[in-house]
Amino acid sequence: MKIPINWLEEFVEIPSDLKKLTHDLTMVGHMLDKIEEKNGETILDLELRGNRADCYSILGIAREVSAIYGNRVKTLQTVLLTKVKKLKNISLNVKTPFVKRVGMVEVKDVKIMKSPKWLSDKLTNYGMESINNIVDLTNYVMIETGEPIHAFDLDKVGDNIEIRLARDGEKITTFTDGQIKLTHEDLVWASGPEGLRPGGQVLSIAGAVGEKYNSISDSTKNILIEAANYNRANIRRMIYRHKLLTEAGIRHEKNLDPNIVDLAISRFLYLIKKYNWGKFNPEVYDYYPSRVSPCKINLTYNYLKTLGGVDIKFSEIKNILSKLQFEVVKKDKEELTVLIPTYRTDVILTEDLIEEIIRIYGYDNIPTKTLALEIPKNVTLNYILQEEKFRNSSEALGFDEVISLSFIKKEYLDKNIPVDKGNLKVVSIQNPPSPDTRYLRATLFPNLLDSTLKIINDRGEVAQLFEIGKIYLKNGNRYIEKRKIGLISWNENKKNFSDFKSLVHALFAKMGIKSPEYLHEILNITLSDSYVLKFMGKEIGFGGKLNDIYYIEIDLDMLLGQEKKYNMSLWPKFPPQIEDLTFTIPAKTYIGNVMRVISELDSRISNLSLKDIFSDSYTFNLEYQDPDKTLTNDEVEKIRNKILSAVKSKFGASIKS
Amino acid sequence: MNEDLINLKNQTIAQIGDVKSLDDLEQIRIDLFGRSGKVTKATHNLKNTDPEKRRQTGILINEIKNTLENQIAEKKNSLKVTIREWFDPTIPIRLPKIGHLHPTSIVISEMVEIFKNLGFSITEGPEIESDKYNFELLNLPKDHPARSLQDVLYIDEPEILLRSHTSSVETRMIEKLKLPFRVIVAGKCYRFENVNASNNAMFYQFQGVALQKGLSLADLKGTLFYFVKSYFGEDRKIRFRCKYYPEVEPGVGLDLDCTFCNQKGCSVCKGRGWLEMIGAGMIHSNILKNFGYKSSEISGFAFGMGLDRIVMDRFKINDIRSLYNGDIKNI
Repeated sequence: MKIPINWLEEFVEIPSDLKKLTHDLTMVGHMLDKIEEKNGETILDLELRGNRADCYSILGIAREVSAIYGNRVKTLQTVLLTKVKKLKNISLNVKTPFVKRVGMVEVKDVKIMKSPKWLSDKLTNYGMESINNIVDLTNYVMIETGEPIHAFDLDKVGDNIEIRLARDGEKITTFTDGQIKLTHEDLVWASGPEGLRPGGQVLSIAGAVGEKYNSISDSTKNILIEAANYNRANIRRMIYRHKLLTEAGIRHEKNLDPNIVDLAISRFLYLIKKYNWGKFNPEVYDYYPSRVSPCKINLTYNYLKTLGGVDIKFSEIKNILSKLQFEVVKKDKEELTVLIPTYRTDVILTEDLIEEIIRIYGYDNIPTKTLALEIPKNVTLNYILQEEKFRNSSEALGFDEVISLSFIKKEYLDKNIPVDKGNLKVVSIQNPPSPDTRYLRATLFPNLLDSTLKIINDRGEVAQLFEIGKIYLKNGNRYIEKRKIGLISWNENKKNFSDFKSLVHALFAKMGIKSPEYLHEILNITLSDSYVLKFMGKEIGFGGKLNDIYYIEIDLDMLLGQEKKYNMSLWPKFPPQIEDLTFTIPAKTYIGNVMRVISELDSRISNLSLKDIFSDSYTFNLEYQDPDKTLTNDEVEKIRNKILSAVKSKFGASIKS
Repeated sequence: MNEDLINLKNQTIAQIGDVKSLDDLEQIRIDLFGRSGKVTKATHNLKNTDPEKRRQTGILINEIKNTLENQIAEKKNSLKVTIREWFDPTIPIRLPKIGHLHPTSIVISEMVEIFKNLGFSITEGPEIESDKYNFELLNLPKDHPARSLQDVLYIDEPEILLRSHTSSVETRMIEKLKLPFRVIVAGKCYRFENVNASNNAMFYQFQGVALQKGLSLADLKGTLFYFVKSYFGEDRKIRFRCKYYPEVEPGVGLDLDCTFCNQKGCSVCKGRGWLEMIGAGMIHSNILKNFGYKSSEISGFAFGMGLDRIVMDRFKINDIRSLYNGDIKNI
């Protein structure tokens, strides 16, 4: 809210030190955004508070100043209004429950002219354009009181008007020449179906903007002034639908007090009279079906103390409430009952009242206490600890962490394919700000690939990256988020698959998780030499390569809780027996499977490694060890024979002597 | 005589230690074992000694001879190696590949560490959220004016969206956890933003929620001050002011002094001298009511802050986009 200092001073006395004023306003909830100097005047720009419709006005801020310093707010000069059942020339028919109050007056023989300098200066300093004296005066009173006022040309709108919901497709040309096509949810002022100007033409969009023809012009002689109060939510939907964030609109979408309708009208009439810009009987037509009265709030001292964390003396509470114009209607030892003025539409609950007392008492005066209570149970999620461990282990193995957007850029969409089995689809955004934020990632691959290509293009020598994060999938009507780790590797001095695989194994080892199995499989994603990873019989991931870039993606949920609790053992006390065995193995045999079969044959095979490959001959190095004794040659021979028969029967391999 | 021999041994050992060249070492050897060397002479003189002492002296001479010969041989070797093989400790190396964590991860773990000290646990929640958890249960009913501050990315309008703040985890936790609890969450959030140097459609928030009988605004103030002083430094100035958020009542805004301009006003703080850092407050009684709690019996606080700004300041990154587009070059 823009507050020209001179204008504020017309309402309330302010401290001479502007810094003090802005600091104190900030502390009670109206943060100073900036101070502007305009035409020699100082204008405060205070951050708008969504719940303080009353503070979208000079009067509202003046009341806040008064609440801080106790300086009284000067009473606005107004005329006394008389309520009438019907205005002389016009009647109103309210046809929807979205209207809470309407006040209307007629003003005759108005003099339309350029605004006098004081008025146009006031508006331009505030930030509104000067149009003519009457329109400017409606805006002037709105800025003063917070209640928007609209002026129609009384001779154009007919004698019978209504407020109703618009019909779909109904059109209006606004005051500023905009064309708006209305919907059946829009609230409009319109001429009635009968009377002087039948046909139901739309006169204005309620609370937001007037229609062009019916607005006042240089030739206008008589005007109809209206100030109203509508259902806030309805106005809000409407102004966002049609992008009508006008000065009136942004006030009507907040919780305005219906009781300020007559204040605004009587203030407007007072100024008309003062400058002799028209003639009127101070007669107002007041549609106000259910009157809003000040609400009562009970406050126990104890609750103020426990929620606010501060013990405020009763005399101080009373003083604060009186500065806020809140009336104490009842008090006893434990409790207060306070009457809240209707303009404070934000104070409804006890907690609201507590905030009021504490903010005027001063947030600076709240003590700092540090949770001197029972320490709650640790409920840290296991998967967060798992991710932390994966993150640190990947880093320790020389991988750099990447955090990428959850979206996939346009040029990578062909790689954003769900790899997991099932009828899974990519999730898309309905209102993406750009084409690059339209699709959510279904794998971590495209973004890691993008980062890798960047390194390659920047003439890096090595890219070794990982990302831990979610992928997003749709299965029928269900949305699924899965936690994944993706690892990618590229090296200028071309490395092979086993170099990459050794890093992956090192990661599993560091995590204390058994190494997975690799199954050669052609995937739907654009990777060659691809495979799926299996762990305890379940698929946990996939991998493959694109040119010289190796990639692997592992599901973290599938591995949750699989870490060995104690990832250590002691050196064995008895020495192993060591030997090399050379087998002739048929072509296209997965050697990993051969080794897995061998190592699972006997728990006394303590180590198995591939030592050498020469055409179809594979030399393995084997260690046999028993933790409790030294193995005899006979015992080793028995194990060896088990190996020989197993590889023969399963893979057709034979020992080479 | 025996004493002279022991002195000779000790002096010679010291000499050998100081020798810098093979020539000098050879000279020492000749002085000892040459035709008229000291040890040679002592051996010759042995026959003139008293037969009773002869045996004892003989043993001593032998021992000295062995020791010194060994010392000379060892020294000779070490001198040879040094002289023959040139050693250069200034030689340049090629670093093995070293891993790095992402700046945001680093900041998160530093902050988490502080809150762990205060008894907070770490939690998370879904990013694809429903309107209910992201808004409705947070005292942000449909058509609430505060909703326009958060233009949401919709997956299936109006119900399914990408969470616009980590407060959605707040509602999830109040629903799920037994009292009392203190949790923090650091995670990705999304808003409709036209991407530029200071706005991104995805950003990180850091959120805390505590729900426990007896919690007050003073506990919130103490907690936030403890965090801010621990993380940003004891000497930072803090502004703890009243601010409106629909999710809390009373509401709090916490600002830090702008160190870019020493509070004189600059483009970073938009001339205010203060940087808005944390939004906080006591959990709104309507939210407690939504989960069947009575505000007269239980109270809680919540706070939240944007992480990206903090990460950018900490690592001197100017463009928010470079945080999450792979532009970070690790050194």
